[in-house]
Amino acid sequence: MTEGRIYEVFARKSHQEELRHVGSLNATDDELAKAYAWTMYDEENWIEMCTVPRTAIIPVTDHGTLPLWGN
Amino acid sequence: MTSIDTATRHDSTSGLSETCRSGLEHLLSACADTKLLLGYHYGEWTFGTPEIEAAVASCSLSQAELGHVRLLHAVLKRHYDADPDALMSDREAGAFANVAFLDRDIAHWADFVAMNLVVDLAVTRVLDSLRGSSFKPIHMSVEKMLDEERYHAHHGFGWFRALARRNDETRTAIEASLNRALASVIEWFGPADDAEDRALIEAGIRRTSGADTLSALIDDLSGPARELGVTLKADRDRRFDGWDPATRRCTPGAPDEQILYHLRGSKNAVFKVK
Repeated sequence: MTEGRIYEVFARKSHQEELRHVGSLNATDDELAKAYAWTMYDEENWIEMCTVPRTAIIPVTDHGTLPLWGN
Repeated sequence: MTSIDTATRHDSTSGLSETCRSGLEHLLSACADTKLLLGYHYGEWTFGTPEIEAAVASCSLSQAELGHVRLLHAVLKRHYDADPDALMSDREAGAFANVAFLDRDIAHWADFVAMNLVVDLAVTRVLDSLRGSSFKPIHMSVEKMLDEERYHAHHGFGWFRALARRNDETRTAIEASLNRALASVIEWFGPADDAEDRALIEAGIRRTSGADTLSALIDDLSGPARELGVTLKADRDRRFDGWDPATRRCTPGAPDEQILYHLRGSKNAVFKVK
């Protein structure tokens, strides 16, 4: 395994759909992440796909814990 | 770069000069043969990659290359009366026109990355030179193939950076592999003054000559190589004595017989549906 980071992948099949999370992957840089996203999550004819390093995602809730009021 | 005269379009090869006609056949066959071997090696490397994502990518790259072979064989069938089954199964090994780097098993990951980055991108550059071609039957096929090839290039450049940055050992390995692949690709492009290549340019079938297409490929590689401290050795002054446009080699050579045996499905020929 090379030193990489986790990327999250989002995609949609039509302009009417919202982007939705389709999976995640490990990659050493953004360019490799694009190749991996496209080849790993090719089960649909996506009109849009994008990927983002997990570290760029800003947590709103405490990660891994339920809020006091539950959900 | 030459702009293509859109006024003269060809629906078939009938209006082409004999040199141009054979030049187009040789070029499409060379792309198909190289893609066939790329498809084989990518497929073989579904297992043994450094990480699982690369295994999935390699398998996907193989499928794309084999799909491109079918597109190119369909053009060769329609316009050159070539039999796709015969192109796969009945040719002498020495008749193949693939980049020689693919003749043997891909020994290790650095060679794989060199194949992905240099050899695959070389064919993509050739396809790009056919964009807007005056030979209409390849229009749609070229656009589809180029669209898919973007991800092959991302994979190649991504791994090139990873190996060049990891440590001295991996940087030395990728530098050696890249330069062997590049030498092989330079032979495949052939001499700058090839008559068939000139005829393809004059007929508007290619937008850029083989020499200019090779220059574009070397430019693609040079920027990242410089940034990563990798020395590229592109011998553009080499001699091309004996270069054969049909096989794109200066001396006879061929893919390994064992590779062709597996690639052709020879072991299972008895199960072939007639």
